Amino acid sequence: MEGYANHIVQYSPEYSLCAGCEACSMICGLKHEGFTSPGNARIKVNLGTRSMIHEVLACQQCLDHPCYEACPKKDEAMRLDPETGIAYIDEENCIGCGLCIRACRFDPPRISMRRNRERKLWRAVKCDLCRGNPEGPQCIRACQVVCIGLSDDAVEGEGGLWPASAVDGAQG
Amino acid sequence: MPNYTISDIVDNPSNQQRLCGFEGKIARIDLTTGEISMVDTYKYVPKYVGGRMIINRIAYDELPAGVGPFDEANKFIYMTGPTTGTGIPAGGRSAACSIGCSNSPEQYTWGNIGGWFATELKYAGYDGLIIEGKAPKPSFIKIEDDEITIEDASELWGERVHRSQSLLEERYGHDFKSMVIGPAGENLVRLASITTGNDCVFAKGGFGAVWGSKNLKAITVRGSGIVAPADISKLEHLRATMNEPSMRPSPILHLDAIGVPGIEFEAHYDRGNVSCSPGCNQHCNALLIDGVSAFGPERQNHIEKCVSICAFDYRSDLPSPIGQFWPTLRNYCAPCKLLGRDFPAPDFDDPDFEGQARVIKPDIYGFWATDYEGGTIVNDLCNEYGIDKWEIIVWFCTWLSACKKVGLLDELDLGCSSEPDPMNQEFMKEFITNMVYRKGRIGNIFAEGMARAIRELGYDKYGESIYRGRFSQELDGKRLDIPVSFEAAWGQSVHWQGRGYEGSVEKPTWLASCIINMTNSRDAQTVEHFHGIYDDYAAALADPYHSPELLGHIIHTQNYAEIKDSVMSCEWQSPDPRWPEMESLMYQAATGYDITPEELDEAAFRSKLLFRAILIRNHGRCRRQEIESIWRCMCIPDSWGEVADWRLFNEMVDLYYERRGWDLETGWPYRETYERYGLEDVADDMERLGLLPERPAERWSDYGEPPFVQFVENRKLEPDYEG
Repeated sequence: MEGYANHIVQYSPEYSLCAGCEACSMICGLKHEGFTSPGNARIKVNLGTRSMIHEVLACQQCLDHPCYEACPKKDEAMRLDPETGIAYIDEENCIGCGLCIRACRFDPPRISMRRNRERKLWRAVKCDLCRGNPEGPQCIRACQVVCIGLSDDAVEGEGGLWPASAVDGAQG
Repeated sequence: MPNYTISDIVDNPSNQQRLCGFEGKIARIDLTTGEISMVDTYKYVPKYVGGRMIINRIAYDELPAGVGPFDEANKFIYMTGPTTGTGIPAGGRSAACSIGCSNSPEQYTWGNIGGWFATELKYAGYDGLIIEGKAPKPSFIKIEDDEITIEDASELWGERVHRSQSLLEERYGHDFKSMVIGPAGENLVRLASITTGNDCVFAKGGFGAVWGSKNLKAITVRGSGIVAPADISKLEHLRATMNEPSMRPSPILHLDAIGVPGIEFEAHYDRGNVSCSPGCNQHCNALLIDGVSAFGPERQNHIEKCVSICAFDYRSDLPSPIGQFWPTLRNYCAPCKLLGRDFPAPDFDDPDFEGQARVIKPDIYGFWATDYEGGTIVNDLCNEYGIDKWEIIVWFCTWLSACKKVGLLDELDLGCSSEPDPMNQEFMKEFITNMVYRKGRIGNIFAEGMARAIRELGYDKYGESIYRGRFSQELDGKRLDIPVSFEAAWGQSVHWQGRGYEGSVEKPTWLASCIINMTNSRDAQTVEHFHGIYDDYAAALADPYHSPELLGHIIHTQNYAEIKDSVMSCEWQSPDPRWPEMESLMYQAATGYDITPEELDEAAFRSKLLFRAILIRNHGRCRRQEIESIWRCMCIPDSWGEVADWRLFNEMVDLYYERRGWDLETGWPYRETYERYGLEDVADDMERLGLLPERPAERWSDYGEPPFVQFVENRKLEPDYEG
C-alpha cells in the first residue's frame, strides 16, 4: 500500500461479496453525527443498482495528503494525526470552502460535504478511521459480511485483497 | 427543504411528540393538474404507526366506493416507515396500496418492496407519496429535495425496466434512485409490476398497470437530507441481536447444483448473496451471476427469490419441514438465515428436534425438467418487461404444461410460431412478448391475467379439467387429481395452500393459509406466511377446525403483517417467536416513542379493520363472497388426498370472525369492534351506509350449500374415483 497510510479496503468478492446494505455508511453517519445521510458518511457504497456488484469507497489516506495541502485553514480545519500520519478534519474550524474535495485525487472524491439549511454552514467530512474510538473503524464493525477491512491487515489474493488472517489460515 | 439536523425534525412545530424517525411530510402529487402539496405525517403518528397503517387510513378517507383501478380517481399511496433509512435491520423496505387490477374482482390491495428508493425518498424529506390523477401524456416524477416536478417521459416510454432506470441515472446522475414500470405497465397488463433496482418489485396487485393508466412511467429521487433515529445504542443492539448475525464472509460461490435441500438439480453457475435494502443485517437475496438474457447476447445478474427456483425445474414441488411453520423456540431459524445459507447449527438436544425437523415430501408434478438457461430466460422476461413472475411461473407455466399433457392445447392456438412448452425458450419469449404488447387475440386475453384469461377461453375446460400427473410421495406415489389451473382466492395462484405450488403442508397449515388469503384481497403469503409454534402443533393437528391455538396464530400472523409493513420490517426477519418485543424495540429505537407490543398489536387490529371497512364499503365484501373465493381450492385433494369439510370449515370461519369481532352472517365488524380500536368515525360511516350489523338474538349458523365446483364433478367421473 505504498503512498497510503492505513485505510479502509474492500476485499475480493472471492473472499466476501459486498451485500449492498450500506450498513458501513449508515453506521458511519450515526456514530459521527447521530443521523444517516448521503452527505455525512465518510465511506460510500457506489451501488451497482442493477448488477448488484457494489464498490466501497473511502479515503485512501494519501501520505502526501493533497487535501491537507489545499486547506486554507491548514492545521486548524484540516489537521494531521501525529500517530497515524492521516489527515483529519476538525469540523469546528471548517469553513466549508470545498477546496479539499477539489484537491482529492480520486473520482468520486473521498471527502463529502455535509449540508445545512444555510450553505455557509456546510462542513467537509472525511474518514479519520474513527480516530479516538478504541473500537476502531465502526464501518468495519458494522459490516455483516466482513467485506471491508484495514489495508495494514490485507494481502493480495484471488480476485483482489484478502484479510491476511484468512490467507494465513488457508495456508496453515 | 429536507431535514438537515436532528433539530429540524424534533423541533418541527407539528411534531408535538418530538418523534424521531419520520421526515414529517407526505407529498401529494396530482398528475392531472400538476399540483404538489404536503400532508403532515404527524397527524397520523404514533396512532397509525407508519407505512401501511397510515396508507389504510388515507385510503379509507380518500378512495370512495366505485373507484376502479384505472380510474383517474384511483390513488397510489406509498409510505416508508420510521425505521426506513435508520440502519435498523429490514427497515429499508416500504409499502403501497391502491385499487388493484390483478385481483379478481378488482379490489383495494397492498404491496411492499425493497431497494434503495425508500431511503432516498426520506433523504429528500418525505415519508411517503400520494399519487393521484392522470398525467395528460407519458410522464415521470422527479424529486430532488424540495423540488418535485412532473417531467415528459416520451424518451422513456417503451423502454424496459433496467434500461429505464439507467436512462434516468444517465440524465440526472447515479445517485438518483428510481421506481419504474416496463412495457407491461404501459400497456395496462394486469400482472404488471413496479420495479426498483435489480428486481425489487411491487409484483402483486397489478400496480404497474395502475401507474400505466396514470401515464406514470417512473419516479426518480435524490435527497441530501437526513434520517435520524432516536436511540443509537438501542439500534446497535438490534443490529447485533436480530437473528444473531453470524458476521461471516459471504463469497461468490461457483456451484454445480440449484434448488433447495432435498430437491437440487445440476446447474453450473456463480452465486452470491445480497441484501434487498439499506441497513439490513442479512443477505437473503441470492444473486445469480452472469446469466443469459432474453433480449440479446449481453449477460445479466438476476436476483433469485423462492418462486424463481421452480423456473429452473418443476418435476416436483418444494419440500416443507414442519418447523418452517411450526418452529420450536430452541430450533427457530429466521427465513433470512436459511435463504442466505447462513444458519446456525441445529440444537439436537431440543426434545422436539426430530418432530420439527421432519420434512413433508413434495408432490411430484412432472411439469418440466432442469433447464437453468430456460428458467433464466423466463425470469429475465418477467424482470425486464415488469410483470409478476409468480403468475408466470407458478400459474401460466404450470397451466401450459398441464394443459399440454392433458391434450387441451390441441384445439387452442396460442398465437405463436413455435411449440407451446414452458421449456421452449422461443415460445416463452414470443408468448410473453405478445402478452406484454397485447399482440393478437391471445396476447390480449392473457394480458388480462390468468384468472380472466382462463374464463375467456372457457373456465370449465381450461380451469377445471383434471391433470393426472400429480403423485403424492407421502402416499407412496399415489396419483392425486388436481385441476390444470392453480387458482385460489381473488384470482390469485395457490401458495402454501395444501395443493399446487408449495402445496405439501398439513391441514392446520393450509387451513390457516386459506383463512389468511380468504380475508385478504390478494395472495397474502408473501408477507403473511403462517407462523405457529411447535408447542401448539399437536393440538392443531388433532382438531384443526376448532383449535383456539391455531386461530391465535392466524391472527398473530395477520397482525404482524400489518406491523411489518408499518414499523417497516421484513417477512424474512419478523416476527421472531423468541422475541415478541422485537418490532416494538425497532419502533422505539427509530422514533423514541415507547410503544409496547400490545399497543402495536392494537394498531394492527385497527389497520386490519380499516382494510376490512374499505373492502366492505368499496367492494361489497361479505362472508359468502370470501368463502366462495377460497372454497374451490379447498376441494382439491391435499398431499394425503384430503379436502376441506364444508360444515367444519364454516365453524372455523365462525370462530375466526368471533375473535375478530365480526358478525357471523355478514362478516362485517360490529360497532363495538370499530370503537374498541378508536374508529368511531368508521362505525358511524358504516351505519349510515347500512353496513353495520346488529348482533343477532340467536347464534347464526345457516351455512347453506357449498358453492358448485366443476372440478369436484369432473373427479366423480374418473374410473378410480374414491369419493
